Amino acid sequence: MRLALYVTCLVDLMRPAVGFAALRLLEEAGCEVVVPPGQTCCGQPAWSAGNRDLARNLAKKAIVELEPFDYVVIPSGSCADHLRNVYPQLLADEPAWATRAATVVARSYELSHFLNEILKLEDVPGAFAGSATYHDSCKGLRGLGIKSQPRALLAQVRGLTLAEMQDCEECCGFGGAFAVRFGEVSTAIVDRKCEAIAATGADAVVGGDLGCLLNIEGRLRRRGDLSTQVLHLAEVLAGPEST
Amino acid sequence: MHSQAMFFQARAGAQVRNAGLQKTLQRVRPLFVAKRVKGVAGLVEDGIDVEALRNACAAIRRRVVDDLDVWLEIFEERAKASGAEVLWARDGDEVARLVVDLAQRHGVTKAVKSKSMLSEEARLNEALSAAGIRPVETDLGEYIVQLAGETPSHIIAPAVHKTIGEVEALFAEAHERPVQERTSADIPMMAAEARAVLRQHFLSAEMGISGANFLIAESGSAALVTNEGNGRMVTTLPKLHVVITGIEKIVPTLEDFATLMRLLPRSATGQGISNYVSLLTGTRGAEETEGPEKTVFILVDNGRAALAGSDFADMLRCIRCGACMNHCPVYFSLGGHAYGWVYPGPMGSVLTPLYTGIENALDLPHASTGCNQCGSVCPVNIPLPALMHRLREIQSERGLRPWRERLTLRAWGWLALRPALYRWLTRRAARYLRWLADDSGRISMFGLVPGWTVGRDLTPPPGQTFHELYAARKRA
Repeated sequence: MRLALYVTCLVDLMRPAVGFAALRLLEEAGCEVVVPPGQTCCGQPAWSAGNRDLARNLAKKAIVELEPFDYVVIPSGSCADHLRNVYPQLLADEPAWATRAATVVARSYELSHFLNEILKLEDVPGAFAGSATYHDSCKGLRGLGIKSQPRALLAQVRGLTLAEMQDCEECCGFGGAFAVRFGEVSTAIVDRKCEAIAATGADAVVGGDLGCLLNIEGRLRRRGDLSTQVLHLAEVLAGPEST
Repeated sequence: MHSQAMFFQARAGAQVRNAGLQKTLQRVRPLFVAKRVKGVAGLVEDGIDVEALRNACAAIRRRVVDDLDVWLEIFEERAKASGAEVLWARDGDEVARLVVDLAQRHGVTKAVKSKSMLSEEARLNEALSAAGIRPVETDLGEYIVQLAGETPSHIIAPAVHKTIGEVEALFAEAHERPVQERTSADIPMMAAEARAVLRQHFLSAEMGISGANFLIAESGSAALVTNEGNGRMVTTLPKLHVVITGIEKIVPTLEDFATLMRLLPRSATGQGISNYVSLLTGTRGAEETEGPEKTVFILVDNGRAALAGSDFADMLRCIRCGACMNHCPVYFSLGGHAYGWVYPGPMGSVLTPLYTGIENALDLPHASTGCNQCGSVCPVNIPLPALMHRLREIQSERGLRPWRERLTLRAWGWLALRPALYRWLTRRAARYLRWLADDSGRISMFGLVPGWTVGRDLTPPPGQTFHELYAARKRA
């Protein structure tokens, strides 16, 4: 199968390692992975800001890039939710585009969803000596029902023990532009998340969305916690790069 | 209530920095969540499909909202047939005028009130006081808030922001006694103290003012769902009872009411049923010994009718349980007063712009992380994040966003549609961010996005973008 890896704008700019980890996982599972070269952003920031026209244009751009593939895999619940749940309504009043959107959307998956339910991965390459706690990001959880998949995959990571935190389904306070627009409120929210993480004593907090992870990591470090690792699920599952 | 919603940003900051408030909120938050979990678990134990029940509740409310005028006419006819009077108010000012007028015609000097958020919309206490009529709030939380000269910070727990020490100080002053050291063990005693004071007001007030959780069309009744018993005093002891409620509060039948009651208390307080459920129909009958001699319904529009048939019609289903704010990370970082008008939390972020003007509450639809914790617990399935999102779109369409934000978004969008240019710029951005890192290897001050670094560091990227590294690998 030939699949497109949609790395997301945040991974592209802020943490390329997540993209490469996803790439390794998919390639080692036997997929032919293409990174469509023109990809920029799925358009969620425009949508969230209320700019429907721009969100629609970026959706069309992504659809054109992604429609030649059997599958589209996205290492972000938030971006995958945007494709799957927002694209259809954005393009609902343009029948030709709506059809194309429906085709792409039906093939688009959040990474853990794809690895667990489509590839049915039973042995991930990653190893992690220690305990980790998993933060359920809101859009993946409540928009796509991503809950069991990352846990099923983490259970395959050698050496890793999962220590669930209190209120793991509570929002971390990121919310895209929200984090910057209402910085103090966002900080107050992520503070509660940091306390829940600290209470587990876990060596690492793992999540499926880089936005949430940057938020959590930023607050942990500011609070003086320099040791808790903050990792994307793909990084944990793929393990360190061998080269 | 005059809206202060335009000052959300400033008020939010102040509330986040209010250590006492933060302590109170963090203590209360898990209680609210746990109560609903327990309430819903009770349904599951009874073998009830909670999702099906939510859908049924939503369907009942949708049926009303779709034909609101028809149901209102039925209600008016049945209520009148039972001996009540029905008045209509276009807005809050008209509510205040009608109530003051009724009070004056009946020689009222004191009015006892059971909780009514609509009376907050109408700034009724202010209007009554100005007319020389003393309003006395009798819900314990409302009583506390009234003594403090404040407004409710939560729709079902109005004084949730108050500490026991603050309440003690208010009681000592109002009840003319010295302040004492109080712990939570003293709460029943303090409640008894308030009860003794309020009892005299119930007996001497000439007018009772209540809201209604629902209006039952088939019987012309008001349904009142309370826990303290004050609602029964307010609606039965004074000779005149005024019910003030929004026109959207109708349910067709008593059967529908029973269905909604399976979820309303459970969503609000986790209770299987509240301590008191009253159905108030008409006036005191010839052979009856209690009840008001006169009952007046004031049915209020104040922006509601305009929502019917609009993009925001879903909001009219709201049954005011408060579950949305009880599960909102933003609400529990701020408390209710930051929202600046009557309704806080996600409910308020939708209602305040719609009822007081979209241009007068620009921050509220953005004061959400989009987490949908509210929508996922709403007993009538209101898609609160989608409604906030629609308000954002309207702001954008009307050019109501700040020019700097619009410019940034347009520039970013223009680039995101041009991959080559976008790559060129992100490559530079990655290097710039790398360069910004201080000795710790992190970015602790970032002038372009001060909102981020106010409370967080930023982990810089390695210096090269994914696409840059990927292209290099492909070449290798």
